[in-house]
Amino acid sequence: MFPPIVLAAVLILALAVAAILWCFLSEPVLRSLKGMASSFRDCIEGKRRAEALLRKLLSEEEYRQLTWRGYLEVRSPSIPNRVYHIPKYRGQVHVYEQGRRVMVLCVQPTEPVPDADVVLMHKLMIEGNEQEYLRVANRLEPTSYRHYL
Amino acid sequence: MGRLHVLSARGDMQVTWDEKKAAESDPEAIEAIREAKRIFAEERAKGGVAFKVAPGHTTERIDTFDKTAEHIVMVPKVTGGE
Repeated sequence: MFPPIVLAAVLILALAVAAILWCFLSEPVLRSLKGMASSFRDCIEGKRRAEALLRKLLSEEEYRQLTWRGYLEVRSPSIPNRVYHIPKYRGQVHVYEQGRRVMVLCVQPTEPVPDADVVLMHKLMIEGNEQEYLRVANRLEPTSYRHYL
Repeated sequence: MGRLHVLSARGDMQVTWDEKKAAESDPEAIEAIREAKRIFAEERAKGGVAFKVAPGHTTERIDTFDKTAEHIVMVPKVTGGE
């Protein structure tokens, strides 16, 4: 037979565990957990859809370049010898002229969108609305950034 | 078939329409075009920019809905980042 103090300690511990479980499994907590799971599913589905759209709208060569090199090269429609390097994952767009990096641009959507949609956004803005893209972009000096693209 | 893609956090929301059927007065096709036009105008009013895209063709910015487009992609308003 256990001494009464041990039994009391076990009883208190059991009550504490029950209270913690009750707190965790109470309705608001369960609702919050379900909400988190739902948001996570939406996020995964959003990424999948964005990737599928990018795959559909890029040529085979463009998609291969993005996958292998980690960036997409887009030619300027108005400035000869200028190319933009759009990173696969969100980040700055590097601008090259005749092989020399001349500028780093920061442009972002005002609404959150998956990374693949950000790539598409940069590409479409550069190809179809370059002047506006350059107007809104924050420009950084290329010398202050490590050359990674 | 035409397709309107609206980029969002949940991936692109799509509306499709069949221009040939709409030309034959198919009510569903006409309704689909009307819905696509409505969404186009709504997104433009929020500052979104629309592009007519076809793989292998030049990207074109458009300010009015084009039911002959293969793909129209609506990009949310952009701003300078950090």
